[in-house]
Amino acid sequence: MDIYLCSKRPSWLVDNRRMRTTSDFQWLLSAFVLLYLMNHVNSQRKETPYDLKCTTNNLQTWDCSWKAPSEAGHGTLSEFCIDNRSRSCYQLARTNIEIPALSRGDHEITIRSLQDAGSSTSKFILNEKNISLIPDTPEILNLSADFSTSTLHVKWNDKGSVYPRHSNVIWEIKILRKKSMELVKLVTHNTTLNGKDAVHHWSWVSDLPLECATHYVGIRCYVDNLLFSGHKEWSDWSPVKNVSWTPASQPKVFPQDKVILVGSDITFCCVSQEKVLSAQIGSTYCPLIHLDGENVAIKIRNISVSDSSGTNVVFMIEDNVCGTVVFAGYPPDTPQKLNCETHDLKEIICSWNPGRPTGLVGPRNTSYTLFEGFSGKYVRFKRVEVSTNESYHQLLFQMVPNQEIYNFTLYARNPLGRSQSTILVNITEKVYPHTPTSFKVKDINSTAVILSWHLPGSFAKINLLCQIEIKKINSVQELRNVTIKGVENSSYRIAVGKLNPYTVYTFRIRCSTETFWKWSKWSNKKQHLTTEAIPSKGPDTWREWSSDGKNLIIYWKIWAFFSEAYKGPEDFMNPISLALHDLQTEQAVGMGKGILLTWHHDPNMTCDYVIKWCNSSRSEPCLMDWRKVPSNSTEALIQSDQFRPGVRYNFFLYGCRNQGYQLLRSIIGYIEELAPIVAPNFTVEDTSADSILVKWEDIPVEELRGFLRGYLFYFEKGERDTSKMRDLESGRSDIKVKNITDISQKTLRIADLQGKTSYHLVLRAYTDGGMGPEKSMFVVTKENSVGLIIAILIPVAVAVIVGVVTSILCYRKREWIKETFYPDIPNPENCKALQFQKSVCEGSGALKTLEMNPCTPNNVEVLETRSTFPKIEDTEIISPVAECPEDSSDAEPENHVVVSYCPPIIEEEIPNPAGDEAGGTSQVIYIDVQSMYQPQAKPEEEHEKDPGGGAGYKPQMHLPINATVEDIAAEDDLDKTAGYRPQANVNTWNLVSPDSPRSTDSNSEIVSFGSPCSINSRQFLIPPKDEDSPQSNGGGWSFTNFFQNKPND
Amino acid sequence: MLACLCTVLWHLPAVPALNRTGDPGPGPSIQKTYDLTRYLEHQLRSLAGTYLNYLGPPFNEPDFNPPRLGADTLPRATVNLEVWRSLNDKLRLTQNYEAYSHLLCYLRGLNRQAATAELRRSLAHFCTSLQGLLGSIAGVMATLGYPLPQPLPGTEPTWTPGPAHSDFLQKMDDFWLLKELQTWLWRSAKDFNRLKKKMQPPAAAVTLHLEAHGF
Repeated sequence: MDIYLCSKRPSWLVDNRRMRTTSDFQWLLSAFVLLYLMNHVNSQRKETPYDLKCTTNNLQTWDCSWKAPSEAGHGTLSEFCIDNRSRSCYQLARTNIEIPALSRGDHEITIRSLQDAGSSTSKFILNEKNISLIPDTPEILNLSADFSTSTLHVKWNDKGSVYPRHSNVIWEIKILRKKSMELVKLVTHNTTLNGKDAVHHWSWVSDLPLECATHYVGIRCYVDNLLFSGHKEWSDWSPVKNVSWTPASQPKVFPQDKVILVGSDITFCCVSQEKVLSAQIGSTYCPLIHLDGENVAIKIRNISVSDSSGTNVVFMIEDNVCGTVVFAGYPPDTPQKLNCETHDLKEIICSWNPGRPTGLVGPRNTSYTLFEGFSGKYVRFKRVEVSTNESYHQLLFQMVPNQEIYNFTLYARNPLGRSQSTILVNITEKVYPHTPTSFKVKDINSTAVILSWHLPGSFAKINLLCQIEIKKINSVQELRNVTIKGVENSSYRIAVGKLNPYTVYTFRIRCSTETFWKWSKWSNKKQHLTTEAIPSKGPDTWREWSSDGKNLIIYWKIWAFFSEAYKGPEDFMNPISLALHDLQTEQAVGMGKGILLTWHHDPNMTCDYVIKWCNSSRSEPCLMDWRKVPSNSTEALIQSDQFRPGVRYNFFLYGCRNQGYQLLRSIIGYIEELAPIVAPNFTVEDTSADSILVKWEDIPVEELRGFLRGYLFYFEKGERDTSKMRDLESGRSDIKVKNITDISQKTLRIADLQGKTSYHLVLRAYTDGGMGPEKSMFVVTKENSVGLIIAILIPVAVAVIVGVVTSILCYRKREWIKETFYPDIPNPENCKALQFQKSVCEGSGALKTLEMNPCTPNNVEVLETRSTFPKIEDTEIISPVAECPEDSSDAEPENHVVVSYCPPIIEEEIPNPAGDEAGGTSQVIYIDVQSMYQPQAKPEEEHEKDPGGGAGYKPQMHLPINATVEDIAAEDDLDKTAGYRPQANVNTWNLVSPDSPRSTDSNSEIVSFGSPCSINSRQFLIPPKDEDSPQSNGGGWSFTNFFQNKPND
Repeated sequence: MLACLCTVLWHLPAVPALNRTGDPGPGPSIQKTYDLTRYLEHQLRSLAGTYLNYLGPPFNEPDFNPPRLGADTLPRATVNLEVWRSLNDKLRLTQNYEAYSHLLCYLRGLNRQAATAELRRSLAHFCTSLQGLLGSIAGVMATLGYPLPQPLPGTEPTWTPGPAHSDFLQKMDDFWLLKELQTWLWRSAKDFNRLKKKMQPPAAAVTLHLEAHGF
């Protein structure tokens, strides 16, 4: 507030300034002076009225107050004057005054204090802007509490009559809780004053149940008058009012049985006289919030949906328990897919999907009411006790007579909210009839029956649309729609015609209404056999002479049960007599399942055409079927289920004249050509040194499976085992191909071949359907025999001629020749000089030349010879069966050591072809050298066990040896021999080598027996060509290789 | 000889071993009642499990043992040992009969209230069995010549669901109903066992320990 103080007295500040000196006193003195001066000023002010303040609480009067001078005692009079046009003064014995509100602008106020000692006057400038608007303290008329909803209701009077109209008032309400008066809510509430006293209400819902703690309410206001330019202030707070709950003796939990929205927050409290130990919601324990006394609360945030019996909130108290149940769920979803229809036009069935589950069951479950707007009727949904399909609800609504349009509204409601769905239906368009029952079939005649059925419902005002399914065995079903006028008695019948006589039919029916909504379900099926009828037409006939011309064959077709009008016997005409030789047989290939035949129009043909066909491979009479075509046609597509691809058919086109049928065309054809299934049978007719003549046979028609288009002939050099003409189509350069398109050609000469060479020939046929299989043959060309004969004959002839000439010459000159070449020779016996020579020739055996025969042994023994092979010390090659006894060793006549050997693998007996001079049989024994080499684990003990110390390699068999034949080493040397030894000495090999020719001498019996390594190495068996070669000692490269890594190397 | 034979035949009906009229007495029906009691005990275990789960935690927690709030109208099975011993057969059977009559009535109320169909089926099945037990007890009483207790007018147990009874207290009642039922079945088993032995030749004394354990 700006109040200007105007004093008439001279300013003391001026005097004081004069008194100030420029002395050099210390600053402390200056401060003292300053303090004195301040005191002086104060004493000056208190001499006049001061501190004028004005407020208003109603904008109509101002309350002004000021402070009197200090000298003024109690009861001092004051004069308060307002200087405006009409100066008005008030004499007062107090220091405050209520004046009417002044107009806008400055007003000079003079306050004169009338004291005994004189008067003191103060002047003030007063303006509305300096006035404070402070409303009166409001008062709460009533504070009430609705404990069930935890709502506080506050009621107060705005005292609007004291204020000018249209002042806005802001109310501030504070809610305090607990005895400690904790502020929990501070809200503002706006009202407008209307010049009259008005009572205002304000409600507040507490998050904490009101039973849990004392709640206090206070209020203050702020008047916002736009016309008032002064300072506006809040009123003082009203005295607080409180609500509290009187607890019972038993502890109790609040709120009880509350239904709340899932996800919201809620506070529970327990009002108890005893100490609460714990609190839990469901199985979750919660921290306690302590309230007044022993009361506690828990706050649950974002509560989840409850189980069917609700969520338990339990407070554990010593020796007691208290609790409540909270039901957290959802408001009802909008009913979805609301649909109303009727089965019988008597009752309307409305069904819907309740949508999202509310999570509330029992008494809190959603209740549904179906309300019909036009009639005002409604039905309520009753939950059946038996568990039903929760996702589908339905209600029955009895139809109102003569009402077709229904405006249904379905209301859904539960403690958390409500929702609704609306549907407007014309019920006659929403008929979903019941399933027809009592379905029966009755004969009318052979082609018509009567169907009857029962369909409950009052359809008298509408037409029914029914669908009859007629099914014939082995035929597609036929659906016939019929419209029937609805009847009241629910029985319907209808005639069904166009049936075949004597045919088994299966009927069933379903119905809808003419304004189609839904078909009913199909009725039961009824099977029915229609009655028989007389044939309506004679059979279709065809006649042919048999091939011998003596018999007439008549064909006819069995008609189906129904037919068109009866036809006269014009078909009965003369049989065909026209010869076929005038006609050329044509070829045709079909398309798809049929074959198209075309011909030129012939005006002579007055009747129809007949096309007959047959399988060409069938024997006579050949007729599969025929077809009659009107005389004005020039083409016909012949189709038959009997047609098969790859089968040749003969088609005959007959034209009809008055006197009979005449064969016009003969056609052979295929519905579809296929590749031949066999190859042409071909043979080689002739072979020469440079050519081959091939001849083949026709492929039978049944195996050709198409029109033969040619042959493909392939040939190449090759023998039976090596030549593989796999990829004939790949165009290999060495395969020569001849394409024979002249199908009448049956032979082929292949020229320019090489003599005495094997050729691989392949022939295959092809049609437009593809290549047939191939047939192949191997042929060897002949040698060039003429040249050979000439080469033989000429020398022979020359020799004969020379011989004849020579003979003639010799004969003629025989005397000369004798004289020249064979002169007479004297007899040597008569010659004494030659007596010695004769005695020599006839001498005893001492002078005979060497005879080989007695030297050939019939047995050969392989011996170790030290002189021939190097001694191999410490060898590990020891036969695993070295000690195997051999019977024959006992019978060994000689003293020399023969090491026996038991063959581990292969033993083969060869009967001695020439007799049994030495043991009867000769054994040829093969041994695997590697198997010998393996048993390296045999150490020297075996070596020591070896009788005679002959460890190491041993020959495979014990053979009696003729010491006189073989120059072998001394027996002492044999004792020292250790390690591997070849099976025989080189000399022996020389004799028995497989490469050496066997002696043909009857006295010699040389059996060649292989070396132990014969299986592994043939080279090992080949003797060295040069006996003196050092190679001979080693017995071949393979042998050396085997032992070159011996440890003793 | 013939006279001797006639004498034997004449006295034949008097031979005790052959003089059986076919009346087995109360023994078999007591045994059957006892067996039915044990069967109901078994059946209740299954039902209680289902129902306590339906009530939700903490009712289905094994250590939940609240004081008996409300549920004052439920017949109490627990009784002082001396008092129990002092009961005679008629009083025992009468108490059993009255208790099960009340419990059956409350159980039917439970059935009406149950929210799920499966629970309703279980409860209905158990009620049928309990009805059978009640009939068996009535049969035993009739065999022994005891009259059935007549319900006093006004004391008929009724099921009064209403807003006055909060859901929580209702759950507590349900909990206690099952608990009392369990205790009564234990007690009945003891009662009928005792009665059974009493009707048979003297047997060893029966010691009763009635203790209400938590479920």
